[in-house]
Formats: sequence, C-alpha cells, structure tokens
Amino acid sequence: MGIQIGEKAPDFKAEAYYRGKVQEIQLSHYQGRWVVLLFYPADFTFV
Amino acid sequence: MAAVAVKYPAFQELGAEVLTVSIDSATTHKEWHEKELSRMVEGGALYPMISDPEGKIGHLFGVYDSKTGLDLRSHFLIDPQGIIQAVEVLAAPVGRNVAEILRQLRALQHHQATGEFMPCGWEPGKPTLAKEGEVPSMSGKVWEIWKPRNAF
Repeated sequence: MGIQIGEKAPDFKAEAYYRGKVQEIQLSHYQGRWVVLLFYPADFTFV
Repeated sequence: MAAVAVKYPAFQELGAEVLTVSIDSATTHKEWHEKELSRMVEGGALYPMISDPEGKIGHLFGVYDSKTGLDLRSHFLIDPQGIIQAVEVLAAPVGRNVAEILRQLRALQHHQATGEFMPCGWEPGKPTLAKEGEVPSMSGKVWEIWKPRNAF
C-alpha cells in the first residue's frame, strides 16, 4: 500500500551502519524532530 | 547519496535528522562508506545508513519494487509529530535534487511556524501567501503580490 500525505509514518526497527558501527535504529525514536527518510536502489551506484 | 552527505550540515541546521535506506546489508554500507563515500565527502555519511535486505521498510512506505528487488529512489519528509508531509518517488535513471529536498523542508517548517503558504518556487525571502483563515480574502488578489517570475 502506498503512503499518503497527512498519515502517520509507519514505524520500523532495522540495522544500520552509523558512527562506525552496526546498530539498531527505530524511526519512532526520532519523534519530536523532522526526519528526512531517503530510499535508494543500492550502494556503489551514483545516479 | 554523496550529495546528501555533503548537505548533511544544512539538514542539521534545520533540526532535521537524515536516515537513508537501501536493500544492502549494514556490512555493505560500511564497505561503501569506507571505500567511496568517505573519500568523496569529508567524514562520509554522518547519519544512519539503514539496511532493508528484504525490502520490508520499502514495502511499508510503498517504494519497494518487487520486479527489481530494490527500493525506489524516493524521499519522505516526516514532521516532529511523525506525520508524512512530503513524498517524492523517482524512476531509477534519475537522481534526486538535494537542494529541492531542503527547500521543501524549509517551506514545511515555515508553514508550521507561521501558517503561511509557500507558492510555486518559494525560497526563504520570497513572498508567501496569506495564513489559513485569511485565504478567502486572497481570492482574486494573488496577482497583486505573486508574479510568475517568483517561481524561478
């Protein structure tokens, strides 16, 4: 299902590479701040 | 994504956090970061590079492409209440415009702070349109304050 403007962003928890190590990130931990969530097809690409 | 890394300080100045997501493993993110990103951009990516190996996050946000098994190039601006305020999805051959993402963020923040509306091509310093509640009085009068040249 596509997402709509004005809807609550679905929460997720996932592994991330951050500050030199692999750690778990949860979207809802960022509540209270603006979040820019960017998806891209793959690492090592440049378009 | 290197362009996002370059502009990360601008996002921070706006009080925004950046999260990037692809189907790559966290280990691949680490390799890419070490071998390329940190060579292109001083310090590399200073934000979390999230791993979405099965496309679950992409699926949640409607940007997982099951034909290719990849997340589509896209961005979501999520406000401090967790509400989605902007969405852009692009076909793979086209890169994003980071300056435009920053512009959208500034416009959304300006709206939340003032209630004003930001017309086509608005950048900080350009004219805005009336606050909510004053909109009926704007009817037929927009031409007096907004000119097409303001869009560019």
